[in-house]
Amino acid sequence: MKTNDMNQPVVHAIFIILVALCLFPFVLLIMSSITEESAIVSNGYSFWPSEFSLEAYSYLWMQKAAMFNSYGITVLITVVGTFVGLLISALLAYPLSRRDLPLRGMLSFLVFFTLLFNGGLVPTYLIYTEVFQMKNTLMSLIIPGLLTNGFFILLIRTFFANSIPVQIIESAYIDGASEFKIFYRIVLPLSLPILATIGLMLTINYWNDWFNGLIYITEPRLFSIQNLLNRMLVNIQFLQQNNLGNQQMAVNPPMNSVRMAMAVIGILPLILIYPFFQNYFVKGLTIGAVKG
Amino acid sequence: MTRKPQTVTLLLSVLLILSLLISACSSSSDSGGNTGSSDPAASNDGAAAPSSANGKEMELTVAFIGLGNMNEVALVQDEISKITKEKINATVKLMPIDIGAWAQQVNLLLAGNEPLDLLVTSSFLNFSSQVAKGQLLPIDELVEEHAPTIKETMELAIFHATKVGGKSYGVPSVRDTAADHGFVARKDLMDKYGLTFDNVKTYADLDPIFQKIKENEPGMYPLVQRSQTNGIAAEIVRGYIDTLGDTPGILIIENQDLKVVNLYEQQMYKDALQLARKWYEAGYIMPDAATTQESNNSLVKAGKGFSYLSNLKPGFEAQEKNVNGYEMVAARFVDPISTSDSGTGFMMSIPKNTQDPDRAAQLLNLLYTDRDIVNLIANGIEGKHYVDAGNGLIKAPEGGSNYVFNQWQVGNNALAKVWEGNAPDIWEQMKAFNKSSTFSKALGFSFDSSPVKTEVAAVANVNNQYKAGLESGTIDPAKLEEFISKLKAAGLDKILAEKQKQLDQWAKDNNVQ
Repeated sequence: MKTNDMNQPVVHAIFIILVALCLFPFVLLIMSSITEESAIVSNGYSFWPSEFSLEAYSYLWMQKAAMFNSYGITVLITVVGTFVGLLISALLAYPLSRRDLPLRGMLSFLVFFTLLFNGGLVPTYLIYTEVFQMKNTLMSLIIPGLLTNGFFILLIRTFFANSIPVQIIESAYIDGASEFKIFYRIVLPLSLPILATIGLMLTINYWNDWFNGLIYITEPRLFSIQNLLNRMLVNIQFLQQNNLGNQQMAVNPPMNSVRMAMAVIGILPLILIYPFFQNYFVKGLTIGAVKG
Repeated sequence: MTRKPQTVTLLLSVLLILSLLISACSSSSDSGGNTGSSDPAASNDGAAAPSSANGKEMELTVAFIGLGNMNEVALVQDEISKITKEKINATVKLMPIDIGAWAQQVNLLLAGNEPLDLLVTSSFLNFSSQVAKGQLLPIDELVEEHAPTIKETMELAIFHATKVGGKSYGVPSVRDTAADHGFVARKDLMDKYGLTFDNVKTYADLDPIFQKIKENEPGMYPLVQRSQTNGIAAEIVRGYIDTLGDTPGILIIENQDLKVVNLYEQQMYKDALQLARKWYEAGYIMPDAATTQESNNSLVKAGKGFSYLSNLKPGFEAQEKNVNGYEMVAARFVDPISTSDSGTGFMMSIPKNTQDPDRAAQLLNLLYTDRDIVNLIANGIEGKHYVDAGNGLIKAPEGGSNYVFNQWQVGNNALAKVWEGNAPDIWEQMKAFNKSSTFSKALGFSFDSSPVKTEVAAVANVNNQYKAGLESGTIDPAKLEEFISKLKAAGLDKILAEKQKQLDQWAKDNNVQ
């Protein structure tokens, strides 16, 4: 016990430093986003800016219609994608976790195979756009995310196989429960930690996804928020670097602070929901990761 | 516990409904986008033969770089379609693609079979590889048949500067195809200290101006760089050379020959380094010029910079005033030149995806000859996206516009109405300016670096190590020898030889002496 008391302050100190290391960039991010542009140019970024300004946010506010629209798109694809993704993953992982499934090894291998290899960008694009006609549809933002998560399926399968005793399933079977009933009455409720974990990962994936939007979406009304921010950023950069100076384009946005403001807008909602998942997160990840 | 199944069932049914909704949404928007295109695609085989008849109405898709606010592109598209429907029996679909997504999306568009009839191409945006892959159609005959007057809208040399292997693959947009070079400074400070350009004939004469600013304006750097890659010395020599895509294998414009030389071994480059070094040591250039990420415009705007070196064009001062927020004056030291990429900088090409090359060429023709269409695509709809500003000039409407286009990339911009702040006859000036320029012998040549990929990467590494430092004056020019010998060790000579080889071949194919 004595050593523990001695160690306590040291442990605290270490964690306080770690927390600070994680937090400071965020603080700097938020402070820079409300710094006057000229102050950044002359003094660099600082934790307490010499001049405050909301210019960056007002520049973004000018595009509010597009912004809110793409927030809506992002929320929609995130919610739908996460639920459908969880459902599909669990439905596939559950049979794979059952030892009495015929061809179990081969099916697991097929899932595993998608982790290692994929068709590459151009063939994938051609299939989605020409066979499934998904270009410029919400589907193109949701479907690719659903089908490329072999890793999640293996995580859930391992969780099912290791932390739900076969005996429970057997006794339910003896009591007359159907396979489907066993799945949603017994297996799913017992697997909340892993479902929450995968749910969070899916949420983050869908929230941060801009690549699908980049290649499948050309209609501005379907841009997700990350896609929109990314496009705005690259456009501003291009204009600055290339000195194309168009009379109409002379807005000359506060580049440095706008970049930071965009990052704030992009991450804020995720930060807000993260605490609600966090409890499950640690537990699910460690249990699911016991066996690969 | 009896409630549980209900919640689960509820959840599942909600999911089912959601997914049904989404698929319904998607299929409806899908059919919206496709009814126009699937129909002409089917008719393509039949309609291809009688080209001039334009039997069946079709939708032509035009892809270009969208950089500004393009929210109301559909309105503009409808207006243009009204005109084109009458003239060539086709409607137009405008497809702005953001520059950030450009390389990716265009690559995929061309790899697939989506309808795409006109496409903005550029030597900066993979033009040569698009031609090499056969993704663009040769347009000589199409233009000759459907758009014979296009070549009168620009310098003939520029018009012909898009040839690859003797065939044209694009029509350059009408814009500033030449550039002169010089010095741009804040007018208010020039006036305040009584500075003039009277005795300033060349870059070396700028010293007294810098000195005055240095003495009187503490906290301001007399000379800032546009970016790390546009170092002081690089700006000084740029007006005299044609970089043929990348340094240091260049042509010297004055010589009017086709001999690729190493820029870094030229006397003018050494002199430029010395000058940059002198200015740096005198404190005229920022100490961290070689590493800063700030552009000249933001430095001038923030009051940290007084002047910069740049390529110029008629109306450049007005443009820079908009960006910097200060009235600017310019001194022009080097006469205008047109370099190898002057024509290929921005072009309109007909991709292989086109449903009807003839109809696409007819639309191309309208983009260069029809004043109404050019105005619509460049400026939007009058009263909505721009308003009259008197003197034949136009200005943005109150509260901004939801259609902001980048004029330089498409069509005959000389037909478009001119924005306030420019001279009303800016396009006359621009034409004279383009005409007056010295044309590089290699106009239209583009270097394909893929045969020497490894060397190019190695040379780029060495460049990163020395170039920005030397050209901003941060590193002593004595290091130039070391720089060159490292470049040679990285395989520079092989690149130069490859460039010379390609240039000779190109000259042979295009009958350039």
